[in-house]
Amino acid sequence: MPRRFRAPRRPVKSLGPDCFRLMIDDDERALVARLFEQLRGLVTEAPAADPRLRRLFPTAYHDDPERDVEYQRLMRDELLASRLASLAEVEQVLTREFLTSDQLASFMRSLNAVRLVLGTLLDVGEETDASELDQEDPLFVEHQLYAWLSWMLEHVVGALRQGLA
Amino acid sequence: MARASTAPAELDAPVGDTSVAEDRPWIVLVWNDPINLMSYVAFVFQKLFGYSKDKAHRLMLDVHEKGRAVVSSGPREKAELDVFRLHEHGLWATMQRDDH
Repeated sequence: MPRRFRAPRRPVKSLGPDCFRLMIDDDERALVARLFEQLRGLVTEAPAADPRLRRLFPTAYHDDPERDVEYQRLMRDELLASRLASLAEVEQVLTREFLTSDQLASFMRSLNAVRLVLGTLLDVGEETDASELDQEDPLFVEHQLYAWLSWMLEHVVGALRQGLA
Repeated sequence: MARASTAPAELDAPVGDTSVAEDRPWIVLVWNDPINLMSYVAFVFQKLFGYSKDKAHRLMLDVHEKGRAVVSSGPREKAELDVFRLHEHGLWATMQRDDH
């Protein structure tokens, strides 16, 4: 697992037990909305065996393929429904300044789901470091996007953790 | 740490003894992966299992340093539910019978 990412700006702040202020600008909100829309398209339209979905729908019984088939038959649709519900909840409030902890938790899960897909596509490793991005890399923009998602997620977790304490 | 593979089936996982009784408690494992943030993983343990900040942090470090950790245990139905909730949060969780 990568260590924390640091950046001077703070994009989300805990204001109380169930109130969080989301301080990202309209461009960033539009970017997130687009990513969430793409995620919905991917999880609803891509075939189950698509490698981009591997991290979103993992194996449950790693030492028992037969049981895993049964588990996936029963649970995969539920997991899909849960992912879509999180996306729907956060998309409703993405233009707002103030979010509840449930809304921010949906934001967190969906951000993380996008990171899992992007990280899988970029074949991110333990040692991948956002500060050492190569501008000549053909996937430079994607790596930057990944770093932005990491930064955003780190702050969402920090804010929600304050809410837990 | 070396780059982790991206599918649990590819990991060198312990193979459970299939001759044991059906009711033997099950354990839920979370595996290290290169994508999920350390802070995120610790927070998910706190949130889902009600673990203290310290315990959640220790478990996260176990996952990070040893490659995996047992995060919960119990009857099969409970283990399946825990695996499901961890999958909802994008963690790399699997379950197996307790070998001990």
